[in-house]
Amino acid sequence: MAELDPRARDASVVVENVHMSYTVRTSGSGSRRPLDRATRKLLGLGSKERVHALKGVSLVARRGEFVGVIGANGSGKSTLLRLIAGVERPDEGRILARRQPTLLGVNAALQSSLSGAANIRLGCLAMGMSPEQADAAFDEVVELSALGDAVYRPMGSYSSGMGSRLRFAIAVAARPSILLIDEALSTGDATFAERSEQAMSQMLEDAGTVFLVNHAAKVIQDLCTRAVWLHKGEVVMDGEAEHVAEKYRWWAWNLAKGNHETAEKLLTQAVEEGEAESVHVLSTSPMHMEEPRHSSRVRISPRHRSRSVVPEREPIPVRRPTIETDMLPVISENQIVLRPPAEETPVARHAKRR
Amino acid sequence: MTQIDPAQLKTSITVPSWTLGDVGRRTPPDIYFEQLWKRRHFILAESRAKVAGTTRRNLLGYAWLVLNPLLNGLGYYFIFGYLLNTSRGIENFVGYLLIGVFFFQFTMRSVTGGAQSIRSGQSMIKAFSFPRAALPISVVVREVMNFLPTFVVMVVVILLFPPMENITWRVLLIVPCFALQVLFAQGCAFIVARLCHMVPDFVNIIQVGARFWLYASGVFFSIDRFVEQPVLTAIMKINPMYSYLQIVRNSLLYGVDSPIWMWLLGTGWAISFLIFGFLFFYRGEETYGRA
Repeated sequence: MAELDPRARDASVVVENVHMSYTVRTSGSGSRRPLDRATRKLLGLGSKERVHALKGVSLVARRGEFVGVIGANGSGKSTLLRLIAGVERPDEGRILARRQPTLLGVNAALQSSLSGAANIRLGCLAMGMSPEQADAAFDEVVELSALGDAVYRPMGSYSSGMGSRLRFAIAVAARPSILLIDEALSTGDATFAERSEQAMSQMLEDAGTVFLVNHAAKVIQDLCTRAVWLHKGEVVMDGEAEHVAEKYRWWAWNLAKGNHETAEKLLTQAVEEGEAESVHVLSTSPMHMEEPRHSSRVRISPRHRSRSVVPEREPIPVRRPTIETDMLPVISENQIVLRPPAEETPVARHAKRR
Repeated sequence: MTQIDPAQLKTSITVPSWTLGDVGRRTPPDIYFEQLWKRRHFILAESRAKVAGTTRRNLLGYAWLVLNPLLNGLGYYFIFGYLLNTSRGIENFVGYLLIGVFFFQFTMRSVTGGAQSIRSGQSMIKAFSFPRAALPISVVVREVMNFLPTFVVMVVVILLFPPMENITWRVLLIVPCFALQVLFAQGCAFIVARLCHMVPDFVNIIQVGARFWLYASGVFFSIDRFVEQPVLTAIMKINPMYSYLQIVRNSLLYGVDSPIWMWLLGTGWAISFLIFGFLFFYRGEETYGRA
């Protein structure tokens, strides 16, 4: 049994060698077979093309990290975030997380015919809150979104900035410990920018993890602690935000100026210098379980989780989430290392089963 | 790049998987049901929102829920009852027709709504994580909510038109019969929801299929009277919609007991479609985010 890797400590999101490709319809009829081409033309269909959006991306994000994902348009940033959120499943590779991540996408309106207030309620309930919890969260959401009376207007009438403000506020209301932001906040105004930064730093203090996708190096430098530079579905660089964003900015500037050779050189340089993480997920536990612990079929009595099994270490103080998002089994390291806490924990819904 | 070989293992980060959960993987059925149960308020709120959303755009709003089947019934009455005279041999044809049109419409709306549930819920799917079965369920719940007021109107219209109905205690049998119809519609909604997500072209087939189904269920004519081939009659009678409509007619209009095979057939279809439909939908759980 291998020692637990110190670099895997506090891992909250693990992306292991993930590949993803899409089949898209293109307008050209690219098929080589004439019959195929003729039928496609007849039916008014374009030809199909496979787009390899991610080609073996690996990374480990830890608690308290603010990870910026940077790259040109079409480099696979948004795809990566959708996969981490679990909206889609990767073709190859695995994505693991401590808790269900919350995704803030670019499409602002949820249900555009409904008012913002109705959307707040629906969103809260969809995340698994009870009506009482949703009512309790309502005021907080309205305040954070800073929409005022506009919450009672239909969401279809919102500007994109207002829409993303509301969505951000709804997402934060559930106290996510993993938040994925897909360029959603770039449309907010100054007041909101400050509030959202506050909310995010609060999250990070509570040992959460934030991913931020942006193609502007400035934003990444200002907010993030770490940056991952994606290019054509591969990690070019992974490291300190300031450094990576600077390299990216220089590359993008050269590209924009038409210095393709320089840009190419910079890219190869960055690949050599950057340390893309390579990840290996141990699939069997030291307890010889066939299934991961969270699988419902496995029931382990608390005494089997003794100190001798898992290397001992200091527990990290975690603020208990006020609201439970139940889509992912929640196992905090604390629970594994320590004996079951004496008081009742509202943490994992699975904990009830034991 | 990240092929696992011993030399690479040293440089790669080894992460234990048992402290983490697989993202986006569907949960085992028992947990899935638990999560669905937790989302019951969401399902209710979502279906209420849809009731409000669909009717607000029209001038007459909710009235269309009643007007649409009434006008449909009028059309059928004119063509089939008056011109083609399919009404011969049917006692209380107005009642017979209205029950057929109103109850069939419920199933049809559930199926077409279910077919679109994944697409129309795409923004919710992308934004929040919840068991996706909540979407087709909320469609059927919405249709039940829509149906109840229209049912009242239907009964009033039937009572207004002569001849007088034979009202007995059997009227109560409408409730379990409708419950079976709802379960059956839910099963159908699950199935078409996934089918239409896999192959969007399927929506067109549903339109055509609905037409056939309408004719095969004896909405405006009596199957016994007009269909001569025994095989065809049998097929049309195995169709559960026929049983559901007949039970309601027998209970509300004629005050007679329905044959036991209708109940058995209705129950069997409802239960088996619900179970099969759910499993079929559940197997696709991980794919619905992929538009």
